[in-house]
Amino acid sequence: MTAPTRGRTRAEEPAGEAAAPPRYAALRRFARGYLRRPSGIVGLVMLLAFAVAALVAPSFIHPHDLDVTRASGALMAPPTGAYPLGTDENGRSVLFLVIWGARASLFIGVVATLMTVFIGGTIGLVAGHYQGRVGALLMHVTDWFIVLPSLPLAIALSVVLGQGASSIIIAIAITSWTGTARLVRAQTLAVGARPFIERGRALGASDPQIMVRHVLPSVLPLILVSSILTIGSAILAEATLTFLGLGDPTTVSWGSMLNSAFAQGAVTVGAWWYLLTPGIAILLVVMGFTLTGRAIEHVLDPRMVDRA
Amino acid sequence: MRVGTVRHDPRGPGRVRRLVAVALGGALLVAAAVGLGTGPASAAASDTNLTVTMDGSGIDTLNPFLSFYNGALNTFGLIYPSLNSLGKDGVPGPYLAKSWTTSDDKLTWTFTVQDGLKWSDGQPITAEDAAWTFNLIMTNLTAATANGSLVANFASVTAPDATTLVVKTKQPQANMLYVSIPVSGIPIVPKHVWSAHVADLKSYKNETYPVVGYGPWLLQTYQTDQFERFTANKAFRLGSSGAPKFDTLVVQLLKNSDASVAALKNGQVADTSVNAKQFDVLKADTKMTAVQEVGNGWTGLEINGGARTKSGKAIGTGNPLLGDPQVRSAIHWAIDKNKLLTNVLGGKGVVGNGYLPPAYPQWSWKPAAADAVTYDPAKANSILDAAGYTKGADGIRVDPRTGKKLDFRLGIHSDSASDAQISQFLKGWLTDIGISIRIDSLSFAQLNSNLSRADWDMLMDAWTTGPDPTYLLSIQTCGTLPDDTGANGNTDAFYCTPEYDKLFAQQVVTLDATERVKIVAQMQDILYQANYDIILFYGDGLEVYRNDHVSNLLFGPPSSTGLHPAQSVFWNYLDATPPGAASAAPAASSSKTGLVVGGVAVLVVLLAGAFVLRRRSTSDLRG
Repeated sequence: MTAPTRGRTRAEEPAGEAAAPPRYAALRRFARGYLRRPSGIVGLVMLLAFAVAALVAPSFIHPHDLDVTRASGALMAPPTGAYPLGTDENGRSVLFLVIWGARASLFIGVVATLMTVFIGGTIGLVAGHYQGRVGALLMHVTDWFIVLPSLPLAIALSVVLGQGASSIIIAIAITSWTGTARLVRAQTLAVGARPFIERGRALGASDPQIMVRHVLPSVLPLILVSSILTIGSAILAEATLTFLGLGDPTTVSWGSMLNSAFAQGAVTVGAWWYLLTPGIAILLVVMGFTLTGRAIEHVLDPRMVDRA
Repeated sequence: MRVGTVRHDPRGPGRVRRLVAVALGGALLVAAAVGLGTGPASAAASDTNLTVTMDGSGIDTLNPFLSFYNGALNTFGLIYPSLNSLGKDGVPGPYLAKSWTTSDDKLTWTFTVQDGLKWSDGQPITAEDAAWTFNLIMTNLTAATANGSLVANFASVTAPDATTLVVKTKQPQANMLYVSIPVSGIPIVPKHVWSAHVADLKSYKNETYPVVGYGPWLLQTYQTDQFERFTANKAFRLGSSGAPKFDTLVVQLLKNSDASVAALKNGQVADTSVNAKQFDVLKADTKMTAVQEVGNGWTGLEINGGARTKSGKAIGTGNPLLGDPQVRSAIHWAIDKNKLLTNVLGGKGVVGNGYLPPAYPQWSWKPAAADAVTYDPAKANSILDAAGYTKGADGIRVDPRTGKKLDFRLGIHSDSASDAQISQFLKGWLTDIGISIRIDSLSFAQLNSNLSRADWDMLMDAWTTGPDPTYLLSIQTCGTLPDDTGANGNTDAFYCTPEYDKLFAQQVVTLDATERVKIVAQMQDILYQANYDIILFYGDGLEVYRNDHVSNLLFGPPSSTGLHPAQSVFWNYLDATPPGAASAAPAASSSKTGLVVGGVAVLVVLLAGAFVLRRRSTSDLRG
């Protein structure tokens, strides 16, 4: 009688994947799964289009095009050949404004999300790992932030911190980290119950070591999905706060465009090109992030993936 | 609305009841106007009610000794009497005083006060009420906060009997009949009510309703930053004018210009101020009467050239580099006022020069050709070059003495669309001459609080005035500087020179009209050269009312240029007449689609934002 050997198990693995390093294999598997989701591709293409436009904008939009003192178009005029999306109240091209606005909107969205994920991830991880008093205390703090009404809190914060991009980023981060924290904590609890964590502990690994080396890698995919979905909401939150007049009026962003459009009476005048353009841009980008995030979620979550 | 010597909300083209801006309230009000909300406190069905919009500045306090926002001053004009009225022609007439005489030396004025008038609580109105009000302002530093400068030349005020008021002045006073007029003058308050509040005058808010007063209207309630509700004083008589024709009056504060227009279109308000673009659209609507009034105020850029208290102590955090007259002068040369007039006002106004607005042509002043500052960035640059400010690597000039950059804060009203628009231009123009600007977008109250503590470098500001310029001129005198604690001041921009103060005192006591105009012109010249207030433009008043809801709202035939005289709420609301027939059906107008699209867009952004912020906090529950 020979006991079944491990060698036999290894022999059953498909030969092709055994050749590639496991990390790239996982990536390839992920890419293949992602490509099977058309909505994910649509979302990604939308995002890439905006990202590219935002990045190359300085090559075809001169600062003078956005300088109100040098704008030469008619004031709040409907689309024409020279101004395909019409002009704003100062005679600037709405097309240029919306492209330039993508820079501020995407930047604030991404940075606010990084902060959100950092705060939420750290608190969730610590709370999930130290389940005693520390964990309870952190979760009480989280609960406390959850019941605070986010929009008034964000408005109050940006008033206290002064107007501008940085305070809007902080306001968004402070009001939206709680979701990530609870998500990460739940996953940390699940991972913490697995035998390999106990094994690590038995081998003498310290708490930080377990958290960073063992728990975090297992939680990362979840954080990735959550953060991609959060970017969309952060961009919307940025637009909301700037629309409410909490941004710097000289910075062009989609929210500030909507703010000026309303403040200048675009509704009464019927300047649809000025109102709809930033609105649709916000819609597309938020949709792009949502589609992309959902697609990644489906690919990464074993319960959702069709493994056939 | 209209005539008043008051710091007003500069959100519009230098206009009192300009309602622009976007804020949460405004956005929600757009939503309300699209059909989700209802207006405040409508009157009983049989009563006729007039709903109008408030001056965008709102109400700082209902205490008339402290207040200087237009929303509040308009209120005092409606609910408190004054010695004189100001006729529609701008000439003072009788009100509490039915007649007056002056002594031969022009130092003693004797007013005969109307007999038999009663405050709203039934107590008689006597000359003693007026004497007490004036004396309080003359003797109590807190009571003098708002209107102290108007009685500075008073020696004594007495009431020998119930119908006689004797005012003795230190020197003959030219503007005596303008000192106590509705809206821009001193309101007379009931002594029997206010004598109990002298001790706590600084904190007293005067919010016991109905407010005891006498005027065309009686203030029944005020919901902070929302609306005021008045009932008509049916016993009111003034000359040929009887009581108000409407039974109730609601003055509503709408913080957004499109919200105001939406409210006007669907009949929630009968009258509102609009911006130039809206004016042109609404003018075409037959249900609307659009009136363009000559500007009675200015919108300007204030520069903190070195703030000091009354005792001469430096105060606040203003950048000392602005104390250099060359820097201030260069800023003036760098501004293209014509471009601002075109872009911000759509040309509906006049380019700013002198300190007093064109509504009162007798005071209008223009700089001599040699002194006139025009848009000339090259000249601005050469002034700064000559003064030794050299450009650094980043294009921003540096002061060679201190090594500090020419980098200034510009405070703007966060809810003002025109401030936001102007600030973009200022930033562009000043960058061109090597001055960098950081924009501080502040609430109306915060900006004024920073102003009084001198915690600012540059500010957007706006004032309106009545026909007598004394008050508006007074806020540039040393006497309006704050004390060492930063309180009890009403200065405009911390300007203070003995030369100007001397002329100020002189113009009040100069009875010869031509001579007085000359002195006032000299004063405007001094202010023009000082560059503490760079007057950008005087915006026309753009007023639109629904002619199917109200008639006789605005008075005065247009001039040859099509401009109506500046208006006073005192006459407007008194003369306003309900339409003969029942009020018209809610409006359905050409750009209703635009309204709906706009309203829906606002809602989507707000709801989506709220939803998203909310969603994140619950996303873990949904797994």
